Amino acid sequence: MIKLDVDDMNRFIGRYSLGRDSNPLNPTGSPHFLRIKIPGGFIDSSQLRSVADLTKTYSRGQAEITNRQDIQLHWIDATDALEIFSVMDELGFTTDMCGQGFSGARYGDARNIVCCPVSGLEKDELLNGTSLLKELSDFFIGNPDFQDMPRKFKFSITGCGYDCTRAITNDLSFVAVKKNDDVGFTLLIGGSMGASLPGPRLATPTGVFVQTEDAFNVAVATIEIHRDYGSRESKAKARFKWLLHNWGLKKFLSTLEEKVGKHLELYNGPVFLRDGGHERIQPQSQEGYYYVNVPCIGGYISCDEMISLADLADKYGNGDLRLTPSQNLIIPNVEQKDLLLKDLKKIGISIQGSKLRWNSMGCASEFCGKTTTPHAKEISKEIVYHLERHIDNELLNAAGFRIYVSGCHNNCCANLIAEIGLAGNLTRENGVMKQYYSILLGGGFGKKPSMGRRIEENIPTDKLKLMIESLLSNYFEKRKTSESLKEFCNKSTIKELKLYLNSKGG
Amino acid sequence: MKNSDIQRIGKGRYSLDVRGQVCPYPELLTLRALQNLSPEDTLEIILDNPPSVKDIPIAIEKRGYKKPEVMRVDKGTWKIIVQNPK
Repeated sequence: MIKLDVDDMNRFIGRYSLGRDSNPLNPTGSPHFLRIKIPGGFIDSSQLRSVADLTKTYSRGQAEITNRQDIQLHWIDATDALEIFSVMDELGFTTDMCGQGFSGARYGDARNIVCCPVSGLEKDELLNGTSLLKELSDFFIGNPDFQDMPRKFKFSITGCGYDCTRAITNDLSFVAVKKNDDVGFTLLIGGSMGASLPGPRLATPTGVFVQTEDAFNVAVATIEIHRDYGSRESKAKARFKWLLHNWGLKKFLSTLEEKVGKHLELYNGPVFLRDGGHERIQPQSQEGYYYVNVPCIGGYISCDEMISLADLADKYGNGDLRLTPSQNLIIPNVEQKDLLLKDLKKIGISIQGSKLRWNSMGCASEFCGKTTTPHAKEISKEIVYHLERHIDNELLNAAGFRIYVSGCHNNCCANLIAEIGLAGNLTRENGVMKQYYSILLGGGFGKKPSMGRRIEENIPTDKLKLMIESLLSNYFEKRKTSESLKEFCNKSTIKELKLYLNSKGG
Repeated sequence: MKNSDIQRIGKGRYSLDVRGQVCPYPELLTLRALQNLSPEDTLEIILDNPPSVKDIPIAIEKRGYKKPEVMRVDKGTWKIIVQNPK
């Protein structure tokens, strides 16, 4: 036996890994991606500069903000990994464990915990969820008890009254609510947009009220239920939603109560109080301070932009920054917002434009999946700019919609719950694979969540923006006063919607 | 790491078990193991992480080794056989 010296690796195992990039149809030359977990998207200027350095050195100067508030780098070579992990360790960041590469129902971990990006800042916030975020994130880092679950597990926490974390797509979401004079959490469980069994599911409201001091134990008990009772028969049956589908809510809640040793109070009030997000510039609960939400359509962010934004966070704020679950970046605690806007303009960033700039997302299809060019992020950008050029921005804002684009059927970008969702598919034509998209309409989340209906299939990518413009043109012409695009789509038949997509109003 | 030892399984033939390890560790362990072996020694790597089944042969060939043999042992396990050059 020869003993290998692996001390340099041992310190990272269980906390750091790389994912594999593979898109044989669109070779980018990227062997691996590095998904840096940023719990709740909380990052400070010096950490962001260090991530920018990593991006410059290893990732061709380009990074992505993901829809779970991570920062993802590509073109990572395995032989550079230990050096990169060492930098990350000093920064206090870890990575996803990327156990989905294994063929069986194994090696699932707790993913980056998503939290309201303006926790502690939002006016009318019910509850600041950051202490729960920190407690849970710290608990799971390198914790061997939660690194071999049947599959991954996703948490979200929000206390602002909006569904800014897309709570309905998570395995377990803590949503702050008020019950009489108490503020605590209600729970949504079993959400998942993926195709695994029993198919895409919106998280189910549990109708329970959890006191803040019990939230940590409830979270751990729930993930233990997933770990200990989740199916290991196959990957397709290994997500928590499958267990919930088989058990039902009643059995889950009684098991949860047994594990936490407490009877959970009932809650029958509203889950979310408001629709919308945290776009543009908003006054904070701290008098005289603002947060400025910088749009990064599709989540693209360059190394130079990261450095500039870190500098501006130091100059105008207190050095803190927040990544949002809509792939944007917030500079909080700003007093001189007009000066900040001028400086943002100097580096080519505008806070003008429609809300679609903050509300549109695209997945990283160029690096994974079965897709080809043009890719999801560029498509979402192209559509937003096209609509802004052809439709009054105020009208676009009033319609209240989002555009989410996923390059394949895996719904990574939650296209099922966008008012306008696009899901890619490939078709072979004359021996060449071509990228097409389905159009889904009428999804949404917040006060009234719903999944979109598939209206059109196999649409060439160059037609998407024109068809969406056509739909909107019909909507503006035919809608009832104050009817949102989602309401309009959901009252229309599929036949009508097909017509609207294919005939510009009139 | 529990699977970090190279087992001798015959004359000039060794085995490295990296099951349960995610990227990049199977690739890094393989490269390190090869450095610890003598010229012309053969290393069998047992692994269950499909991305590494693709990565390890690429990494090895990039370093001038002969194309390794990749065998599927069962539904979720592979064996990669590589020989150190002279």
